[in-house]
Amino acid sequence: MAVCIAVIAKENYPLYIKSTPTENELKFHYTVHTSLDVVDEKISAMGKALVDQRELYLGLLYPTEDYKVYGYVTNSKVKFVMVVDSSNTALRDNEIRSMFRKLHNSYTDVICNPFYNPGDQIQSRAFDNMVTSMMVQVC
Amino acid sequence: MSVPDYMQCAEDHQTLLVVVQPVGIVPEESFFKIYKRISTVSQINVRDSQRVLYIRYRHHYPPENNEWGDFQTHRKVVGLITITDCSSAKDWPQTFEKFHIQKEIYGSTLYDSRLFVFGLQGDIAEQSRTDVAFYPSYDECENVEKRIEDFIESLFIVLESKRLDRATDKSGDKIPLLCVPFEKKDFVGLDTDSRHYKKRCQGRMRKHVGDLCLQAGMLQDSLVHYHMAVELLRSVNDFLWLGAALEGLCSASVIYHYPGGTGGKIGPRRAQGSSLPAEAGNRHRPGAQEVLIDPGALTSNGINADTSTEIGRAKNCLSPEDIIDKYKEAISYYSKYKNAGVIELEACVKAVRVLAIQKRSMEASEFLQNAVYINLRQLSEEEKIQRYSILSELYERIGFHRKSAFFKRVAAMQCVAPSITEPGWRACYKLLLETLPGYSLSLDPKDFSKGTHRGWAAVQMRLLHELVYASRRMGNPALSVRHLSFLLQTMLDFLSDQEKKDVTQSLENYTSKCPGTMEFITLPDGLKLPPVPFTKLPIVRSVKLLNLPVSLRPQKMKSLLGQNMSTKSPFIYSPIIAHNRGEERSKKIDFQWVQGDVCEVQLMVYNPMPFELRVENMGLLTTGVEFESLPAALSLPAESGLYPVTLVGVPQSAGQITINGYHTSVFGVYSDCLLDKLPGIKTSGCTVEVIPALPRLQISTSLPRSAHTLQPSSGDEITTNVSVQLYNGETQQLIIKLENIGTEPLEKLEVTSKMVNTKGKLFGDFLSWNLEDTLSQFPLKPGKIATFTVNIKVKLDFSCQENLLQDLSDDGISVTGLPLSSPFRQVIKPRVENKPINPPETTKVGDFGNLKTLDAILNFKYSGGPGHVDGYYRNLSLGLHVEVEPSVFFTRVNTLPATSTRQCHLLLDVFNATEHELTISAKNNEDLILHAAECQRMAIQVDKFSFESYPDSPGERAQFTNLKQLEEERQQAKGLEINSKLDILWKIPSLKREGEASVEGVLNQLVLEHLQLAPLQWDVSVEGKLCDCDIIADCKVGDPVQLEVKLTNLSKHNVGPFALTVIPYQDYQNGVHNYELDDAITFVGSNTFYIDTVKPTENSVCIGALLFLYTGDFYLNIKFHEDNSSRELPLSWFCLPSVHIRAVEPVTQTNL
Repeated sequence: MAVCIAVIAKENYPLYIKSTPTENELKFHYTVHTSLDVVDEKISAMGKALVDQRELYLGLLYPTEDYKVYGYVTNSKVKFVMVVDSSNTALRDNEIRSMFRKLHNSYTDVICNPFYNPGDQIQSRAFDNMVTSMMVQVC
Repeated sequence: MSVPDYMQCAEDHQTLLVVVQPVGIVPEESFFKIYKRISTVSQINVRDSQRVLYIRYRHHYPPENNEWGDFQTHRKVVGLITITDCSSAKDWPQTFEKFHIQKEIYGSTLYDSRLFVFGLQGDIAEQSRTDVAFYPSYDECENVEKRIEDFIESLFIVLESKRLDRATDKSGDKIPLLCVPFEKKDFVGLDTDSRHYKKRCQGRMRKHVGDLCLQAGMLQDSLVHYHMAVELLRSVNDFLWLGAALEGLCSASVIYHYPGGTGGKIGPRRAQGSSLPAEAGNRHRPGAQEVLIDPGALTSNGINADTSTEIGRAKNCLSPEDIIDKYKEAISYYSKYKNAGVIELEACVKAVRVLAIQKRSMEASEFLQNAVYINLRQLSEEEKIQRYSILSELYERIGFHRKSAFFKRVAAMQCVAPSITEPGWRACYKLLLETLPGYSLSLDPKDFSKGTHRGWAAVQMRLLHELVYASRRMGNPALSVRHLSFLLQTMLDFLSDQEKKDVTQSLENYTSKCPGTMEFITLPDGLKLPPVPFTKLPIVRSVKLLNLPVSLRPQKMKSLLGQNMSTKSPFIYSPIIAHNRGEERSKKIDFQWVQGDVCEVQLMVYNPMPFELRVENMGLLTTGVEFESLPAALSLPAESGLYPVTLVGVPQSAGQITINGYHTSVFGVYSDCLLDKLPGIKTSGCTVEVIPALPRLQISTSLPRSAHTLQPSSGDEITTNVSVQLYNGETQQLIIKLENIGTEPLEKLEVTSKMVNTKGKLFGDFLSWNLEDTLSQFPLKPGKIATFTVNIKVKLDFSCQENLLQDLSDDGISVTGLPLSSPFRQVIKPRVENKPINPPETTKVGDFGNLKTLDAILNFKYSGGPGHVDGYYRNLSLGLHVEVEPSVFFTRVNTLPATSTRQCHLLLDVFNATEHELTISAKNNEDLILHAAECQRMAIQVDKFSFESYPDSPGERAQFTNLKQLEEERQQAKGLEINSKLDILWKIPSLKREGEASVEGVLNQLVLEHLQLAPLQWDVSVEGKLCDCDIIADCKVGDPVQLEVKLTNLSKHNVGPFALTVIPYQDYQNGVHNYELDDAITFVGSNTFYIDTVKPTENSVCIGALLFLYTGDFYLNIKFHEDNSSRELPLSWFCLPSVHIRAVEPVTQTNL
């Protein structure tokens, strides 16, 4: 169960961010923002690998006391960052992967919308519902 | 040991720690001056060897850290330099005592110490002591460096001896157990004789020797010792020391691998070292090699007895990857001991520095992550700040800018934590500023003007809010205004409506104390905050320079040379030039402004705020010509759409002017917004030429102004419109007052007129004037008035012909613009409409009163002042709208031949179309009174016209195309001439109005022909007396009567020859003509005349004679012989007057 899910544009600004404890949203902003350092680092390390063989899932970006931050980057360098409660040990790597894949598919749907300009804030209701379902759902 | 040194790095392990401290009262400034000089001596090449000593100076060092000196010797204070101020000799003992006390603090570890005394002179200063140096003042101490070098050498001697001592110790005596402070109690009562214990002692000592070797500049040796120590300690599970040994190994390897140092350029100490990194590196390696090569060194110190000389340095030295592994291992050992937290933390920091050099950010971040969680004791606020700052710095070093910014921000917040009694807002602000790059935020609004906002708005906004707050608490309202304006300007799209309100509210609060300016704000540390112009409050979408109103627009006089063209290029057209011109055009505007006149620029703006936006003092920013901007204040409604705003100003001199932007004052912040920095702005060029001042003319007329505006044709714009109602044929005077309301004298004036609707036929000059009178009043000084009179004469068609009806039915059709889909109705409709129109047209008065309008424009071209010198003028247009009511109509026209061939009667049916009684008069005729809608015939006797100027020339008929036009022109001219002879005047006594009536339009070809005098003028004289129709020539019976026929050729061609026959006859007045007069009249000679060819303008005369045998009234008919008469010439040319001769008795005058 994710506590925060963010979609970040290629230029490292948020396209979408949602967190469950809404009262401390800024904290998650900071968490996700700082995690971008690691994402950048991982992407630049990956840059050497062949493009088509690239693994989109970046794995655990960094653990904090309360949360684990996972990352995922699409081929167009759009990043997905998911913050997961550390106490939730049931959540395995594979589940995280599948969540990211779902997120990616949903994001692709958003992009497919001819009325959506890439780079704009995501305001799709379908995407929002999907994210909400991922945040509520106990894996 | 509780105070971590976050600045530590791996190469600090090879340094000797020297504490420099002031004793007594030493001015801080002076102390640091000396301290700085001392610090420069951070590397010493020891005398005869190539070994290098590195010194680390501290002016503050917690003694409890010193207690860990055995654990890692670089933590041990080995030297103490005390600086003191001693002005008099009597203070000296006391000072010296203090020095000793100071020495006591670090006493256990000190190798040597020095006391630098400043200010003392005299006997005491004379004495030469090694541990004390006297200097007269802080400025006169040239040999401080030398002293320090000596001091360091003495330290080296002790160090070297200790190293040798420790290294050789082990062979015989019992090796003492080195331990860290917290271990001491653990070893109480331990069996000191056990192998385990001995090994432990050995291992620790080996590690210690390794430290010493490293400090003494023997890198290779130290590596060997560390390796051995690791082995020994690993076997006895002495984890703390094993960690230390591993770290030592790492440090030595790092020193070997990265001679440039890992600390980077931080702190004064590092900065010193890095000034000669290449040199340091060069020295370093030979130093390391020397240990292996120099056999003396190997044998004499005995260390190498234990170390295998075969072990190459490459083997001893750890590879870069191994360094990290060993660091990890060491840290994991340290972490087993709670008391070694500082050591662990410092090891982490050192490892991170190494990793940063190796560019292995991910692993470095892991080390840092670990360091974050190392829990030291309760930290003071200051330590917390330091800790966060250093974390930030380390993250920065590994390229994690966001993380770095995060920690820096945390540090900044720590500075002003509520628990701190005196919040350090300045420090907080400074730290916050440092976080800006991490949040990819620059305080230059220019970076945001390019395209859309990129960045993490939520965190950036937070940071800006914090900056605003910090700067406010710092007591720098200008700064907070600047930050707040920046926030508003750049984050506008991300602010919610409520936030927008709040931000502007607080901005207004701040600016009430300190208005925002356009100046750079320079912070004490040199950072410059660029001004923030509010380009989004309001948003300007387009800028358009407006031309002057038409009446004020300057126009260039057309010069004969056409200099504009000729100067540019010799070609009339060239594609290259055309291209350039196009480019120029985009920048330059093709109209001019005039000096001294109010010029306008129109901006389309809109307000993005959810509330009313008050923009004050909005004006233009220009370059070039001096420009007096007249600022405007405006209030834009909430979320307004595009809103036009006109900014005005007056150029004060001539030349080029460029509109660069505009300035505003919004919420108390003054902004200068430059157009070229605004995104998405539409402009059609901003550079315009200002020409020298021109006068301004204002006109007022005697006629009322009209609401009727003329349809501007060909771009003309009318300044004033006047209207007047006139009867057809009436003349009215229009008095125009010309007032110079400008500042320049009016020197030139030209008046032209132009008819706007030329649809109707107009006869005569519609407008006429005499400019001379007006020009005599020139030049017109500013404020002066001149008058100008224009005669308006309306002379429309007086005929009542089809065209009048045509006009009406035309309108009818155009109004019924029926769709094409119903052709049936379309056919029907005109028929239906025609019906009601036609009958009243002929019967009812009202329909004759079909108003005609005439529109004309009077153009006043005027100039004066400097603008005139430059060849500019202004054009003022006066629209004249004349409604013409019909006065009289000539419904029919006809001619009747008069008795004389030179004259004829013109019959005009005059119809009074007015509703008033009207009198009409013509030349020689008496007044005719016409009641409303009455029609009467009037006959005017007129002389025939010769129309000399437009002779009918058959040769010209060849030009068929012009024929019609020519004919029309000719007819017009004829009409004019006829009309001028007729002088038909009408008068409406009840209205006291009068006018002319013109027959010009009425006359048709037939009538004209009748009125025309033939070009061949035949004059018949009887007895030398000219005969014409009514004249009766008297002659006596029996006497021969001389008959003379004279032909004057007025045409352009030769005419003739002609043969004429004179046929006499008698008219019985009952329609019977008696030609059988052979017995009554005889001809003397021939009754036929021959006229030879007559050249133009010449005449020919032939004379015959008649003899009347009886009295009576005779007529002579002069006829042409058919064969002779030229067929080409019109018949009317051969119209000879008939001659009436009355033959009387010679004696008795009795009629027959």
